[in-house]
Amino acid sequence: MTTHAQASAVPQRPLVRLNNVYKTFHAGTVNEVRPMRGINLEIAEGSFVIVLGGNGSGKSTLLNALAGSFPIDSGRIELDGQDVSRWPEYRRACLIGRVFQNPFSGTAPNMSILDNFSLAAKRGKFRGLGWAHSRHLQDELRDRVRELKMGLEDRLDSAIGSLSGGQRQALTLLMATWLKPRLLLLDEHTAALDPKSADQVIALTDRIIAREGLTTLMVTHSMQQAINLGDRIVMMHSGNVLHDFNSEQKQRLRVDDLLSRFENVRRRELLDESAAEMLKSRYI
Amino acid sequence: MTLLIGALTLGVILALLALGVYISYRIFDIADITVDGSLTFGAAVTGVLLVKYGVHPLWATSAGFIAGMMAGTVSGVLQTRFHINALLSGILVMTALYSVNLHVMGRSNIPFLGVATLSTYCETMAVQVFGGPETQLWGWTVSSADLTMLLLMLTLVGAIATGLWAFFRTDLGTAMRASGDNPQMVKALGGNVENYRIFGLALSNGLVGLAGALWAQYQNFADVQMGIGMVVWGLASVIIGEALTGATGVGIAIAGAIIGSVLFRQLVAIALSFGLNPNDLKLITAVFVFAALVLPGMMKHVSLRKAQGAA
Repeated sequence: MTTHAQASAVPQRPLVRLNNVYKTFHAGTVNEVRPMRGINLEIAEGSFVIVLGGNGSGKSTLLNALAGSFPIDSGRIELDGQDVSRWPEYRRACLIGRVFQNPFSGTAPNMSILDNFSLAAKRGKFRGLGWAHSRHLQDELRDRVRELKMGLEDRLDSAIGSLSGGQRQALTLLMATWLKPRLLLLDEHTAALDPKSADQVIALTDRIIAREGLTTLMVTHSMQQAINLGDRIVMMHSGNVLHDFNSEQKQRLRVDDLLSRFENVRRRELLDESAAEMLKSRYI
Repeated sequence: MTLLIGALTLGVILALLALGVYISYRIFDIADITVDGSLTFGAAVTGVLLVKYGVHPLWATSAGFIAGMMAGTVSGVLQTRFHINALLSGILVMTALYSVNLHVMGRSNIPFLGVATLSTYCETMAVQVFGGPETQLWGWTVSSADLTMLLLMLTLVGAIATGLWAFFRTDLGTAMRASGDNPQMVKALGGNVENYRIFGLALSNGLVGLAGALWAQYQNFADVQMGIGMVVWGLASVIIGEALTGATGVGIAIAGAIIGSVLFRQLVAIALSFGLNPNDLKLITAVFVFAALVLPGMMKHVSLRKAQGAA
């Protein structure tokens, strides 16, 4: 008994733990989708997890469930040792930083860069009648925006809506990590960008995560990103985890391996040719 | 000159209405019809406290503000907790308030005769300040009571506008502005968007209730009909203000709403003095707002067509 307990002792408690999580949207209608079918997942502190999967596999739903965008049907979500299953979205924000796929989602377009960051500087904290634009915030913001090398440091008073998608995603990333989050959620945050901006934002992502040692969950459609980034790959399919590659396995993975895994799924599911074409065009 | 001062004073008082509409319409992007009810509610509560209970005008006026806030809170709760469409919530609360206002007042009209109001305070103050019931202003003889009222209202509205401007630069105020601009982002940053909206609508309707309280005291009666169509009036003021200032920041937009309200009231006063039938006032206001909403888009379309034609 004692030896068993010692053998199974986990060196570190996971930062994130999903326990048998279910979610069905539009239950009982023709549009019923079941993006989470008893998902179990543990994520260790400091790991950078890439989430892959086709359309409707439940990968974005997984991120949204963690963020609290909707209540889950059953199961349990633990974050940082606390059961957050019933916490509303805004309450979980004290632990989570997020960047969305749509560059318009992460910033308030009609407000200035400074306004947006003054909100980020209070993520998950009480907002009272303190002055939003403190001297300290302005100075620090100018320094950190200069690091982006996008020439935005002199435009802190311009509306964020006037910036390009790449600039907005870079700023959103900076906002999400302004106060160090316990968990960073990136939901295909480069999918809507042109290749050059996407590369810039990915480089920035890698740099920030490495520097701050952030626990990260990143959904992507790009096999190349999946291979190059992170230390673990979770492959999702029809509402569950299909494959889970750890750091060692991931190092040996190539784009072709990932594609063949998807190909296997395709055969098993006997998807018709057109759907396979769609997958290919998306992933290659 | 008396006419001018009268129109100015009313314009300044209704600037509070414009500020309230600015908050709901521009910051939260809602056409909040609660305004029609909360303006009367503020006037009714203040009126009853003054006439029936002899409360000090300062407290009675504050009560008008609080009454407006309550109306706004109900509207906000309907929208956020019960997920009722913003327009419909406004209609429901406005309709309910019509009965409430009749109950509060006990009848459809309360004249403020022989009771102390802000107006009577102005009269006594005017004699002390200007040394008589009449005074000279740039060669014109004006009633010093009217002048005092105008100055008092200007000071009050100026102070409130400054306070509002400062509020929207605080952490809470910034988060409220952002929750109108991008609620998803505010949630992701830990802001309780629903509570912000409730508070925003409370603040908005509080200002409208205050406008009602002051207006009733200025015209010396509260009437159950006085709020009808006032949301459109507020919209017209906000739109004129934006057109004049090209409003980019909150501070300019707030100043614009005040200027818009004063100017709009002047225009109305001039039109009325040229023989405009007062019955047509609301029709003209509505047409004006319609034009202000539609024309910018149409002008863009026309200039685009022209540019295409040239190319």
